Amino acid sequence: MRMSDFEDLPLHRQLSMLYQQGIYVGKSKQEELTRLLFQLEYFYIEITYTSYRSSIYKIHYTESTSILEPYLGQIQVEYLVT
Amino acid sequence: MVKPATPKNIVFYADDDTDDLELVQEAFGRYTNDVEVVTATDGVQALSYLQSLDEYSSAPCLIILDINMPLLNGKDVLLKIKDIPPLVSVPVVLFTTSSSPLDKEFAQKYNAGFITKPLDVSQMEIITGLFIDHCSDEVKRKISKRFK
Repeated sequence: MRMSDFEDLPLHRQLSMLYQQGIYVGKSKQEELTRLLFQLEYFYIEITYTSYRSSIYKIHYTESTSILEPYLGQIQVEYLVT
Repeated sequence: MVKPATPKNIVFYADDDTDDLELVQEAFGRYTNDVEVVTATDGVQALSYLQSLDEYSSAPCLIILDINMPLLNGKDVLLKIKDIPPLVSVPVVLFTTSSSPLDKEFAQKYNAGFITKPLDVSQMEIITGLFIDHCSDEVKRKISKRFK
């Protein structure tokens, strides 16, 4: 699936696909905002919550690996090498 | 005469993420008459609690383990509790943000459930049902009786 196809899906389909197929990368917190980063195929999806797992503030899609930076300490090598 | 209260079923949940601890405690909130959620925030604390249970303590009816925990991860805790006689038959669920096939295979190999953490709190009711499905029939009957 291309990132643009994913972006075009309705929110509930995006969440369902991420839940079933997304690879969890990490979690970050900044003041009231909590972010979860997932990888799906070759692109990344970052969900920002104002209320954790309850109220989604925004979803950011990118193919750039620079989004990994805040999460680098949490990435588990075992998933990358297998 | 006061009728002795029926002891609550203990659901033991270990997770270092306080947000997720709250989420699961809230999810079991509707079962508070029958279920008590006991928590730990890392693998060592979890194992220490579980190893401290003796024949006079109530063993949990369900053990929920996050995988990525400090000091001792959930998979290592699962392996170690398989050696604790009072807990051998207690169902264990790995509850994790991971949907890795490796983790799923691990859970299957060691006869544990595997549930991915929700992205949206609306999925939590379904997930709580999945947790309860792992409990013994006796516990399920007791819990579900109140909600018929």
